[in-house]
Amino acid sequence: MEDFILFLVRYLHVLCGVMWIGILWYFNFVQIPSMPKIPDEQKPAISKVIAPEALFWFRWGAAGTVLFGLILAVMNGYAHEALTLQRPDIGFGMWMGLIMAFNVWFIIWPAQKIALGMVEADADAKPKAGRRAMLFSRTNTLLSIPMLFSMISAQNPPGL
Amino acid sequence: MSKILESLPMTIVAGIVLTVIMVMATNYLEETNKSDAEKLISDVMK
Repeated sequence: MEDFILFLVRYLHVLCGVMWIGILWYFNFVQIPSMPKIPDEQKPAISKVIAPEALFWFRWGAAGTVLFGLILAVMNGYAHEALTLQRPDIGFGMWMGLIMAFNVWFIIWPAQKIALGMVEADADAKPKAGRRAMLFSRTNTLLSIPMLFSMISAQNPPGL
Repeated sequence: MSKILESLPMTIVAGIVLTVIMVMATNYLEETNKSDAEKLISDVMK
């Protein structure tokens, strides 16, 4: 039974992670590069409809990934070792995931609420917020590469 | 740093570079964290 629960928690962690990173890569590989090519009158389709919906699943995917990842680490008994880098193979990945999740909830999401007009803001605040959201989203894209490597190599020793 | 992040290809390259650095750091920390007995065993097995 315990093995099944461990498996289920791992499955939920990966499920949420796919939701999160899938949408992160959608933002960075598809939406951001496409926006300049979209006529201005059609841009609200992205900013008013698609982006808010994507951001909902994106941030809750991040929250779920962290929650189930921490539960998994505690249940498997390596949480302290990993976070203190006594087990660096998964520890680095965990730290990157935590930093990425922090970026999502405390930098990207607040900035996107301003950039998309979901909260009141000055006219000059919107482009600054949009740029801040883009830079931190790119930071998360950068971190996702070693983070995924850490996840896979921890489960497939000896990695490289 | 923002110059790198403004370019998606450069961001990917930076991610790969960070991965290499992470692997080197992981190997270093794992060697450092080994007990004397574990070091002896891994030396014998090389």
